[in-house]
Amino acid sequence: MLVKVEGIAVAFDGAPVLRNVNLSLREGEIYGLLGPNGAGKSTTTAVVAGLLAPAGGRVRVAGMDPVTAADRIHGLMGMLPERSGFYDWMTAEEYLRFFAKLHGRDLGAAALRERLERVGLAPRPRQWIGTFSHGMRQRLGLARALLNAPRLLILDEPTSGLDPRGRRDIHDILIDLSRNHGVGILMCTHLLDDVDRLCRRIGIINNGVTVAEGDLGDLLAAQDCLARFQLHLAGEPPDAGLPAHAHLVARDGERYVIDLDPAVTADATWRELLFMGWPVTEIRREGGGLEALYLNATEQRIQ
Amino acid sequence: MNAALVLARKEGGELLLGARGLAWLLAASGALSVFGLLLVSNSELSLLDNAQVVYDMAATITALGALLAVIVGSDAIAGERERGTLVPLLLTPLSRGGILAGKLGGQALTWAVIYVLALPYLWAVGSTGQNLAASMVALAVLGTPVVLGFGFFAMALSARLGMARSSLLSALICLMVSASPLLLGPGLRQSAIGKAFDTVNPFSAAVNAYDAIIIDSQTIGAQAASLIVVFIWFGLTLCFARRSFRGIVR
Amino acid sequence: MLFPALLSIALGLTAAVAAASPLKIELSPAPGNPAAPRMGDRLAFHSVITNTGQQPIDGVIAWVGLLKVDPGHEQPVDLEDWSAQKAVTQSTLPPGGTIEVDWPLRLIEDGHYRLVASAVSRSGEIATSPLADFSVQRKPVVESSRVLPVAFGVPLLLLALLLHRSGLSSIFRRATRA
Repeated sequence: MLVKVEGIAVAFDGAPVLRNVNLSLREGEIYGLLGPNGAGKSTTTAVVAGLLAPAGGRVRVAGMDPVTAADRIHGLMGMLPERSGFYDWMTAEEYLRFFAKLHGRDLGAAALRERLERVGLAPRPRQWIGTFSHGMRQRLGLARALLNAPRLLILDEPTSGLDPRGRRDIHDILIDLSRNHGVGILMCTHLLDDVDRLCRRIGIINNGVTVAEGDLGDLLAAQDCLARFQLHLAGEPPDAGLPAHAHLVARDGERYVIDLDPAVTADATWRELLFMGWPVTEIRREGGGLEALYLNATEQRIQ
Repeated sequence: MNAALVLARKEGGELLLGARGLAWLLAASGALSVFGLLLVSNSELSLLDNAQVVYDMAATITALGALLAVIVGSDAIAGERERGTLVPLLLTPLSRGGILAGKLGGQALTWAVIYVLALPYLWAVGSTGQNLAASMVALAVLGTPVVLGFGFFAMALSARLGMARSSLLSALICLMVSASPLLLGPGLRQSAIGKAFDTVNPFSAAVNAYDAIIIDSQTIGAQAASLIVVFIWFGLTLCFARRSFRGIVR
Repeated sequence: MLFPALLSIALGLTAAVAAASPLKIELSPAPGNPAAPRMGDRLAFHSVITNTGQQPIDGVIAWVGLLKVDPGHEQPVDLEDWSAQKAVTQSTLPPGGTIEVDWPLRLIEDGHYRLVASAVSRSGEIATSPLADFSVQRKPVVESSRVLPVAFGVPLLLLALLLHRSGLSSIFRRATRA
């Protein structure tokens, strides 16, 4: 287990911020950490990163305590905080070179160029960071987090403020890191679409307490929150019927309401239906799924 | 390269390459320029003895250096936190002590830049060269611990208070209190309280030593009392900064 | 050489006229004056104006004049920076009456100087004092030829650097090209 958090508690000036937070992250996995504003997501990531010592509970990152082994853990992790500032008077290359040196690496011009291109930033030798857009800054922050080839990546709202193309680019980078490089990614986000696309396991925090945690499919099934869709057809469906992971809930003429197993993505299901010859003209989500899970989980109050 | 040195170079770069740092340097040089222009244009000031002028310039440079050190120091931790650049620093293998060393190096670089900028002004007003070289040495030996001490003090406040504005205000008040005997004039300094304060005030110690070296042509070695005061100030503020940096969190 | 001679003749003529006038003025240096005054020092002179006649003298005005007498550089000196005490007046000076005046001077420039005090009345009586000569030694002061380039040059250099880093220099270049 790359990250193991058990029952951590944190208080600021006597006011509890985290009461009982649990999560576990494996290598090569993308873990989505969800919760309302002020729930304690950023505080949790700060504890995992060794920036904050918990008042109770247990945290292990690669088997080490982040409080006592912060230096070693910082050597194997990268982090993109939610509010990440930059040195506006530097260029992107200078910025990366500075942080590489702090990590004990002396990267040449070619290596720096490669790091920037990897996150979709074209080299701009004479452009200062002060002139960068929000999306460019996010990409630069990600490049900084990846400087030391981390085993663990902690991201706080990595796609906030990005356009759809930018979000998709970041998604592709994260999927590549987890699948092809075995990087474990702990991602705080409000964007359920991101979680849907990227995460196999999630945790939901509410009022400093983990209210749901584990495999996304299991959680959806347990909460009876299978994804439900309404399909409009232009004619009769083929005789083969629906795929095994799609379940017919109701039918009204050419309007079909189906539930999808969480193990299979909606995109894959529509492709399969099209190949099977289903004359689908419109697909509309009818609720359920991750949104319902999130809303149900965060409505629970602490006794 | 040592990580603390990398950080110190970054601090120096921010001063010399960042708009904010350059604006501070411009303001400091502007103040010295105004003083220099007053010396040549004002009939009262233009009659001042050359050594007196060099002494006044050295004291002014020390005051400006301390002011800039306080501004830079107040920004060291609290400013980085407010701009969101502190967490990425804390996430590097650099320890709190390493961050402190880097920031201290940045303070030293800032003073070095001010000192180099000030040398032409000293040369310009020290026309006959009377004790000009001695004034430059005195400024280096005595001005450095005074200025850096104020910088360390401001950095410590920045780490403890967590807000750049609060730490700047507090440090500026301390600087003004330290410089107050010089503003209040010799009469008040002759009182019992004035004398006692003069004895422990690093600013007074440095300025009194400049008087002795530049105007009275004494040697630096004869300024033992002043040297002790300024170096005690340097040591105490360094310790304060070290203790304050240990508790830095995001 | 010519100027002091002419001055002496003029003063001699004035003295001759003054000799017949009941108005008398004396000029003497103050006892506390420095022996070898330098630029920036202060000197003081004392005058006593006396009515030696039997009639009152109305509308008395007394003033000092300063002359620089360095050979080849002889010229009257504008007392603007040297002295705030420019002239003294008295409406009536009774017979036997006296007016005592102090003339403080701030020594602005080095050189050799000659001070003379004069007095006139409304009716045209005139008196001049004996001459008081003194020399002012030069002392090292700030030279503007050194200060001005530094005072303007250093800030301008920093301003250029600031503009360059702020990108304003490129805006300026674009604007001037347009």
